[in-house]
Amino acid sequence: MTRLLDLTWRLIRGGGSRGLLGSSLTVVAVAVSTALLLFAVAVNVAFAGRAERAAWRNPVTATGTPRALEAVRVEFAGDRVITVVHVAVLGLGVRPPRGVSPLPGPGEFVLSPALARDPSAARRFPGKVVGTVGDDALVHPGELVAVAGHAPGDAVMTATWRGDHRLGVSATKVSGFAGAQDNMAVGYRVLAALAGVLMIVPLLVFGGAAARLTVARRDQRLAALRLAGATPGQVVAMTVAEAVMTALAGAVLGLVLYAAAAPSLQRIEITGGTWFASDLWPGILPVAAVLAGVPLLVGLSGIAGLRRVVVSPLGVARRATPPAMRFVRVVVLMGALALVPALGAGARPTTILVVLTLAFLALNFAGAWVVGLIGRISAAGARTPARLLAGRRLADDPKSAWRTVSGVALTGFVAGFTGILTPSAEAGSDRMTALLLHDVRVGTLVVLAVSFLIAIVSAGVTAASSVLDRRQTYALLRLAGTPLEVLDRARRMETLVPLTIMGGGSILTGVLCAAPFASLSPSRDGVLTLLCCVVLGFGGVVAAGALTRPLLRAVATDPAPRPD
Amino acid sequence: MLDAMSTTPTPPPTSVMPALPAMPHTSGHAVLEGRALRKSFGPTVALAGVDIAIGRGEAVAIMGPSGSGKSTLLHCLAGITRPDSGEVHLLGGRIDTLGERGRSALRRTRFGFVFQFGQLLPELPADENVALPLMLGDVSRTRAVQQARSWFGPLGLAGLEGRRPGELSGGQAQRVAIARALVTRPAVVFADEPTGALDQATGHDTMRLLVEATKHNDACLVVVTHDPGVAAWCDRVAEVRDGAILPFRPARGEVRDR
Ligand SMILES: Nc1ncnc2c1ncn2[C@@H]1O[C@H](COP(=O)(O)OP(=O)(O)O)[C@@H](O)[C@H]1O
Ligand SMILES: [Mg+2]
Repeated sequence: MTRLLDLTWRLIRGGGSRGLLGSSLTVVAVAVSTALLLFAVAVNVAFAGRAERAAWRNPVTATGTPRALEAVRVEFAGDRVITVVHVAVLGLGVRPPRGVSPLPGPGEFVLSPALARDPSAARRFPGKVVGTVGDDALVHPGELVAVAGHAPGDAVMTATWRGDHRLGVSATKVSGFAGAQDNMAVGYRVLAALAGVLMIVPLLVFGGAAARLTVARRDQRLAALRLAGATPGQVVAMTVAEAVMTALAGAVLGLVLYAAAAPSLQRIEITGGTWFASDLWPGILPVAAVLAGVPLLVGLSGIAGLRRVVVSPLGVARRATPPAMRFVRVVVLMGALALVPALGAGARPTTILVVLTLAFLALNFAGAWVVGLIGRISAAGARTPARLLAGRRLADDPKSAWRTVSGVALTGFVAGFTGILTPSAEAGSDRMTALLLHDVRVGTLVVLAVSFLIAIVSAGVTAASSVLDRRQTYALLRLAGTPLEVLDRARRMETLVPLTIMGGGSILTGVLCAAPFASLSPSRDGVLTLLCCVVLGFGGVVAAGALTRPLLRAVATDPAPRPD
Repeated sequence: MLDAMSTTPTPPPTSVMPALPAMPHTSGHAVLEGRALRKSFGPTVALAGVDIAIGRGEAVAIMGPSGSGKSTLLHCLAGITRPDSGEVHLLGGRIDTLGERGRSALRRTRFGFVFQFGQLLPELPADENVALPLMLGDVSRTRAVQQARSWFGPLGLAGLEGRRPGELSGGQAQRVAIARALVTRPAVVFADEPTGALDQATGHDTMRLLVEATKHNDACLVVVTHDPGVAAWCDRVAEVRDGAILPFRPARGEVRDR
């Protein structure tokens, strides 16, 4: 086994500059995937943390002997929200909420650091300030929170709150200050989970593509190894070892990338505030799981891509007419979509998540089939060599073409989904609704930004690797006088044709999936966001393809190609 | 047998393959001529002043040990590599001074190429592979494919039009490559060890087809080969040693003497 590993390592190093370039493409792809995966996990951990830290302000009526009274009021200081928690101690042995110390007595206050620093806001709380509200009790770093101590008979402790339930809670008899996560916080957690799904599915597709990149480029070498007498087991072991080594390097780089990006991510404002550094650290266990899981997945995906090679030592060098993909793929998509309207607005969040994930996966499953169909149609009607070449390639390997555009297509789904879910600004007349709308918009933009990043990186990586994979043919065609532009145009068309069709189709699918949850009149903002997405998506993919042009030039102008 | 090529300026042949007399070796009538070609790669001198002229319809085999400069010579003559010094003339016009675009267009229209392997696009069926150069030259797709298919019968490829390169044998793939090299009716066909990856019998068949089909189309042939038997199909052998050509000798006579 160690000898096999040693051989693998030497083959990686001996791959020359192009082999190295190919491996670095995989490393980059895996790094971006890992970083975004960590982000998707962190988002969920972060919202869970917020919900937990805010729980003490949502009093739960005591079942046993009440030991304290708790009431909440939300006030506004200009644009800023101040949360005031009124407490009165009834009995002995009441511990202050986690992060609050000490519990203020009647007439005393405990203020959050941001509030204490702001004299104009602090003036509202005339009395002795006996302590601070620490990070453990704050939703976000700059939050303005005051804990006001009272006697049980004070007015606020006897009044009933009749205003908006988001702006106040009547005095409640509690046995402690642990509280419970409120509906709003739980709602945010569901949205975060949704965002996670929307980000992770394209990531998995992309990661799988990255894994196959290594394997595809190794086809010939592996066949040569088989011819030289390597057993299928050894070939599998070597390939998987290489894929896993590359992926591990990528995963570690991804962690570094994520750590580098975290300070900026921390500044994204949601529910009126930014994040603690610890919010964006998913925790040792999840990070370890991602670092171990990503290479594992890449390795597994590599094995899947290897099946052809292992079957026959000669099987790979020769490409035969690929078996047609079955229509069943589209039937699966239709089935999944048929489920969606069955969901009403009243469906449980988990049901919505499951159905959405299914629709998303089904879209991905059907995508390759549709790309193959597009390829056959456009090849049949092609008049120029570039179009013919593009069409034949799409029909020949629809899966890899789909991988190139799937990022944008899946983003189209997200954009369509969120585009119609983004309510128009006029709907939010009061402050709290406005805040919620702001949050949904920010969340949408973050998810879209992530999807675009995936889409563009994956388009670039696939374009570069497809040039590397075809380098010999390109070079020979070039020697025979084929203009570079024809090759380049074919390459561009190979991406743009499916992009146009699949992008449009996915946006529609997304809109369809969102329809049960929203009023069917799309808002101006939502449509605007969608339009921006379309423009950005196309521009990004085209730009990513254009960036690989020097590579094409380098490969195709090799003065005298040698078999390598 | 070569009826499908009847669109050639020459009338279709009556016999299988006419044994044309070798063209006299005179630089005055040369279709392609290289003069004092020199080329170095860093310290390695690949060509040390080569003069070569290929006459109308002539087939020249370039032979020599590995690393002697055969491929470099072929690349210089074909406008793939620019020589460090010396001149290349095609039909009286100088071509080595053309820009990249010009040389590229020249290669596409006046030259045909057969490489050892790997020149066929794996995604395209055989007929479309052959039609590709025509389509690049603005021939409509229907006509290009039609014209491409007309080569399949004469080259012994009937019925294989729709196959992918991956579904062809090595010899069949090389014959498709020959069809592709000839379909534009080039002035010169260049072949660099076109049968190097084939077994000897298939190699001979393929090479014979290459030589005869080229002649039949009034094209010259410059072919690099290691196989003396293969060289025997050519009119002339140019022996390359250390970047220079040894004194000329005719191939046919020698073979006939054997
Ligand atoms: N691109 C190149 N870079 C460096 N050296 C080269 C290159 N191409 C050819 N050579 C050298 O030039 C000499 C002639 O090469 P080549 O023409 O390919 O030989 P042949 O085809 O006869 O085997 C050899 O010594 C080879 O190493
Ligand atoms: Mg050579």
